[in-house]
Amino acid sequence: MASFKSYTILSMVKRRFEQSWMFIAFFIGFFLFWEYSVIWFEIPRYILTPPSLVITKGAADLDRLLYYTYVTGLEVVLGYSIALVLALPLGLAIAFSQTLKRTVYPFIVCIEMVPKIAFAPLFISWLGFGLLPKVIIVFLVCFFPIVLNAILAFSSLSEELTLFCRSTGAGAWRTFLKIRLPAALPQCFVGFKYAAINATVGAAIAEFIGSDEGLGFYIQIVTGNMRPDLAFAGIFFLTLIGLCLFGLVTLTERILIPWHISVRRS
Amino acid sequence: MSHRIELSTVEKTFGAGASAVHAFGPVSMTVEAGEFVSLLGPSGCGKSTLMLMTAGLLEPSKGSITIADIPVTGPQTDIGIMFQDNTLVPWRSVRGNIELQLEMRGIVPATETEKIDALLRAVQMEDFADRFPYELSGGMQQRAAFCQAMIHSPQTMLLDEPLGKLDAMTRESIRSDLQRLWMQERPTVMFVTHSIEEAVQLSSRVAVITPRPGQIERVLEINLPYPRDFDVKNTPEFSAYVRETQEIFRGYGVI
Repeated sequence: MASFKSYTILSMVKRRFEQSWMFIAFFIGFFLFWEYSVIWFEIPRYILTPPSLVITKGAADLDRLLYYTYVTGLEVVLGYSIALVLALPLGLAIAFSQTLKRTVYPFIVCIEMVPKIAFAPLFISWLGFGLLPKVIIVFLVCFFPIVLNAILAFSSLSEELTLFCRSTGAGAWRTFLKIRLPAALPQCFVGFKYAAINATVGAAIAEFIGSDEGLGFYIQIVTGNMRPDLAFAGIFFLTLIGLCLFGLVTLTERILIPWHISVRRS
Repeated sequence: MSHRIELSTVEKTFGAGASAVHAFGPVSMTVEAGEFVSLLGPSGCGKSTLMLMTAGLLEPSKGSITIADIPVTGPQTDIGIMFQDNTLVPWRSVRGNIELQLEMRGIVPATETEKIDALLRAVQMEDFADRFPYELSGGMQQRAAFCQAMIHSPQTMLLDEPLGKLDAMTRESIRSDLQRLWMQERPTVMFVTHSIEEAVQLSSRVAVITPRPGQIERVLEINLPYPRDFDVKNTPEFSAYVRETQEIFRGYGVI
């Protein structure tokens, strides 16, 4: 039994590798090219540093990087969570209320056209350099994709299923739990993922504009000091935050809607 | 209680004022309890509209419909409906989808396990109960959808081109399953189709519908003994019915 199990794990790893070795090779190749082109073309260290130096110099400044990752991560998590908690019920309400669809919905579509990040300097001038304006900016860039996709999700049940629900005589609540909610989840997750990608962008730009801590602040300061090695280290941790958030959303998606084609395909 | 469906001068107009489209009627017709009636006509002749009105899912503009002498004023729940695009949900297995019909009606599925199994056997789907719709062919999906539409033993079944998207061979095979299930359970069936052969093979009567606005042109009684298997189609009687139906459509320039 044990040997059978290890055999299947081994074959699984082998299959995974067969599927992705080209990607892995390309990935490694990219960093090798970066590493050695900096040396071959004699690019000055204050313009571009090889990845090996990013790792060693970044490791030397790890305390600061980790603390700033915590700061920026907190902004991202708070902004994203608040957006999720507010946008999902609002999207649901708009999808089911004709009044809201005629009043709030067009307003949201108009606001969606405004680049939210342009508000960042205003929020910072109103609320100072602290956590709150950053959380608001992250919230803004996450809120709209979630609410718009939720509206779409909850108002696009197929004609056939709508008729089926009515023919069963089931009440609104039962129909919602058994059919409308699960049917809406895939489209909702489109919004959740989009927002997860936006979140770190929002946090970084908000910190560029006015901040005294966080990874955006760090990247700006070290770039000013001609330290691209540390800037790349900052970018690495910023990416890590984004990847963790996106990974968490994708994991939740896999657990909640394993039947959906977007999950099955990957 | 007799589950006769009675349509009296039913009409449907979509829109209002100058842009109003008179889609259907006036149509009067009676479908006797336990009868299998096909609504046969080309696309856009309003046969689906008529079916939805009978189900109480669409309100007629004029006229009235009764099922078992009770006026249809809202969605009917003692019916099983099926469409060209089935109502299987992708997040449930075949069994789960059949149970969905029961759960939506507040019935605990565990009490109906035997009935679900029997239905699955009747359409040769017992080995696929735990499969998900995306794992099945179109024909198997429609077989599962049949079980979903019948599990609550509806007295009336409204089938809107349930075989419309299937290839000819699969249609043939599902048709005989459908006929067997109907003979076994004897619900009143309204079957919407645009296949003349299918209508003649399955129905006790065929309502021939001509378009713009949809009208029941003729009601043909098909006096062939049930069960009507594949061989019945080679009989001269069968051909005569098919030809007669074709002539009606030809007269209207439909074919």
